[in-house]
Amino acid sequence: MNVIRLFSLELVRLVRSRTTWLVVLLTALSPAAGLGFYQPAVSTTMNTLYLANPAMAGGAAGGILFSLLTIFELDRLRRSRADLLTDAVVSPLTTALARLLALLAVAGLTVALTLLGWFPVSMVRIGSVFDGGDYALAYLLLMGLALPLSVLAGGCAYQVTCRRELSIVLFAAFAALSLTVWAGNWQLCWLNPCVWALSDDFSNFRIFRSVAWMRLTWLAALAGMWGFSWLCIRRYGKGALGSLARSARRIYRPIIALALLACAGTAYAAQPFLDHSNPDLTVMSFYELPDVEGVAALRCSAKVFPDTDAGTVTGRACYQFENTSGQARTLSFGINPGYTVSRVQANGVDAPFTVSAYQEYNEARLEVTIPAQTRVEVSVAYSGFPQESLPTMQGINELSADYLCLENSALLPRPMNVRSREGGCRTVVEITLPASMTAIPFSTSEAAVVAEREDGAKIWRYEEKGMGSILYAGDYVRQDIEAGGITIQFYYARKHQAIMEQAGAADAVKAVVDYCVRHYGLPAAFGTSGRLKLIQSRVRSSGYAVDGASLLDEEDFTAANLADVEKGGGAGEVMIHELVHQWWGLGRMFDLDDPTSPWSAEGLTVYTTYRIVKELYGEAYAREHYIGQWKQAVDDYYLNFYVRHPAYLELLPEGERLGISNNLSGMRWYSEMPLKILKAEELVGGEAAMDRILYELFQREPDPMYPYLTYEDFLTACGLTEEELELG
Amino acid sequence: MELKIQGVGMTYPNGKQALKDLNLELKSPSLIGLLGPNGAGKSTLMKLLVAALLPTAGTILVDGQPLVKHERAFKERLGYLPQEFGLFDELSVTQFLDYMAALKGLRQPKAAIREVIESVRLEEKAKAKIRTLSGGQRQRVGIAQALLGNPPFLILDEPTVGLDPEERIHFRNLFSRTAQDRLVLLSTHIIEDVQSVCDQLVVIHQGRSLFTGTPEQLIHLAQGHVGVFWERDAGQEQGLHITARVNTGQGIRCRAVAAQLPAFVKVEEPTLEDAYLYLLSREVSA
Repeated sequence: MNVIRLFSLELVRLVRSRTTWLVVLLTALSPAAGLGFYQPAVSTTMNTLYLANPAMAGGAAGGILFSLLTIFELDRLRRSRADLLTDAVVSPLTTALARLLALLAVAGLTVALTLLGWFPVSMVRIGSVFDGGDYALAYLLLMGLALPLSVLAGGCAYQVTCRRELSIVLFAAFAALSLTVWAGNWQLCWLNPCVWALSDDFSNFRIFRSVAWMRLTWLAALAGMWGFSWLCIRRYGKGALGSLARSARRIYRPIIALALLACAGTAYAAQPFLDHSNPDLTVMSFYELPDVEGVAALRCSAKVFPDTDAGTVTGRACYQFENTSGQARTLSFGINPGYTVSRVQANGVDAPFTVSAYQEYNEARLEVTIPAQTRVEVSVAYSGFPQESLPTMQGINELSADYLCLENSALLPRPMNVRSREGGCRTVVEITLPASMTAIPFSTSEAAVVAEREDGAKIWRYEEKGMGSILYAGDYVRQDIEAGGITIQFYYARKHQAIMEQAGAADAVKAVVDYCVRHYGLPAAFGTSGRLKLIQSRVRSSGYAVDGASLLDEEDFTAANLADVEKGGGAGEVMIHELVHQWWGLGRMFDLDDPTSPWSAEGLTVYTTYRIVKELYGEAYAREHYIGQWKQAVDDYYLNFYVRHPAYLELLPEGERLGISNNLSGMRWYSEMPLKILKAEELVGGEAAMDRILYELFQREPDPMYPYLTYEDFLTACGLTEEELELG
Repeated sequence: MELKIQGVGMTYPNGKQALKDLNLELKSPSLIGLLGPNGAGKSTLMKLLVAALLPTAGTILVDGQPLVKHERAFKERLGYLPQEFGLFDELSVTQFLDYMAALKGLRQPKAAIREVIESVRLEEKAKAKIRTLSGGQRQRVGIAQALLGNPPFLILDEPTVGLDPEERIHFRNLFSRTAQDRLVLLSTHIIEDVQSVCDQLVVIHQGRSLFTGTPEQLIHLAQGHVGVFWERDAGQEQGLHITARVNTGQGIRCRAVAAQLPAFVKVEEPTLEDAYLYLLSREVSA
């Protein structure tokens, strides 16, 4: 009996069953749960709300339903004893294989129906940023592949146990692991992929790839396990092991199952997406390397060729050093852990190098020995798939034909232990990008097209201060806004143009910049260049800023967010927050954040954001959404079990301990310190007095030895003591 | 088609020995009745013949080839009706038979299905869902699927259970016709069925073959060992196995078998049932 013919018979039999149609219908409706109570993705982009969450809800619910269908269907045939008739005609292994294929086909049919059924709903809810490709991929990967995995898992459990109840318990345990313990492990959460956000305005290439990798890993693993369970199908009156021994006599069967398991194991171990950075974010050994004596960096240049189809980068970076030590020296470079260094040369001669297995903050350490010559030119050839560090927030460093984000050592290796020569070092970057992309250095620098290739790709070139660079690129619209005496270059996705114009985002930007300049003056960096870049980034849950550039998360520009009546119809508050970092933030104003202290750039930034929001949306709104939330967070903090009993925190597994301590540090920066500043405001005589103090602090002449604003500076300016600002 | 069962033994994992050194030779065309009391090993033998079990001793040869090595080819030539079986309730009779026809790889399934539906008299229910059928009708669907494709070897385990007397006669005749050019193994408790159609009998008891031969040979074996008597005349005789007890106006009339009939018993011509019971009683006494 031909398996294909038998498959078509089983399929016809399945689709004639009412139970099958009930499961199909419930599965097709289950994405509705993602619009309500099941929302594993936390972002608020339209694609997250109306595509990722429904698709993942459909995957989880559909997976469970299809597993039950599989178990009930196999059990029904066994209980009804219809298998006595079929087994007398063909081998039970053949029928089991055909039944599996039929169940998989029904799962495929269900996904197709769900895709069709939810298309108009998603299109209407997502609005102008709806993308058919994202829609199809989201349903196929986030939902679709959960169904065959569940069919395999359910079938596997039943074929081994031959008991319905036990199979359901086993599957429930397996699904529960994915939904709970493994939920934070992107490779293990087989039922509910670890997706936190889908971008509206840019591509989702990386996150879809990551989910596909996870799904295929599990597909191989469960297919292998199913293969072994298939050999356990009871034959000749034997038990599971006896049947396995009998059926495995055809040696290719267990070999195929083993090969599938080996593929899964290899895919698990060799995943290309995440690095192995030290999870302890308080360890910053790469930033604490002492500078090499007698070596100074003179100049740096890089030619970078992103392959936007493959998501990989090929590059060659050249560094000019002055070595006055008279000795060979070993220099360290930070390099993205996903890259492979193929060749390092010093003055045209191959130089020995090593890349560390230890990784920290998304960097591995490339060590190169340079010769004892005064002038040394080091060239590094590198290529690979840039890896990320945060498993639960993948996709931030997107690299596709629509969007590119190459930060620091993902763009070119970063010298770690070499100081710049007097007068500073400069970096020149040349990058080849698709015709539709605009290159935007994350600094005051301007990129320009220096050449165009026959295929339409453009070569962009720009020059930076220092050794390293951050580059964004995409299909951007640029809008120049005059505010506070400077020019704001506002870059946002072309896909978002209509929404931005409708929401009057440019006016909001102008209002915020005007407010800050009026109260605190102009940041020195703006004074020299006279301009500030505001760049809408792919969803990343936060923004950040450097001299002359500030990153704004697309999440704050969604149609829903911009039209939020509660917020007065203005731009999102994270956008305001990130803009404020141009005043209270950046390396020159605050030292690196100390996780043990509440004082950081965030305290004054959050406070100022509150003041702006108060001016824009009214006191009641600001009190509820800022002061009320700070107080609640601080109360929660001091009630937190691990704060009251820190000894227990030490007993937790490392990952969990770091997660909790990082959250607690963040709370102190974002809630405790703003509350203290608010208390200071009351004690110094109100908002006007505090504004004067902050103006003076902002405009002060910094100590060149330690140019950072400290908590003591703030207290002195206020005429207060630390004890006076303690929260009761 | 020729089946040779050579020294076959079957011991279950729990230690129960269901068959012991069984030797049989079955050749087509023939309709063979398989008789034996409950637990004699009939079902085990049938499961061995459809490759649902593997013998723990001996071999089964099909046309000279070991069954275990040619299971697939053998199954293509087999029609099997187990004593208890299930059907796909969600399908109609025709759909189910179409499914089984496809499993069997029939080239012209429609004609074959029509033929078996007619032969089991289910024309009116051909399009009815199986879940709506009565027990007898389900049994007839089971028979139909076994007959589908005219397999050269048919194994029928209690095929007439649940059928009314008229249907039983119909099916007896059907099996008889079927066996004209094929090998049919019919396991049943209904001696009447066997007597009327089987040309060969195999009696199994406690896992061993007690008798292999024609019904006439079995009857002949019981000649002079079957008789009748009035209960009031009976003494305390040992070894007399009463097979029937009928209340009449003159008293209770008994029918019995024994190795040595007592004087008060009047010798009668044995029936197949008498012969079968005599054979078993002889075995029990031994």
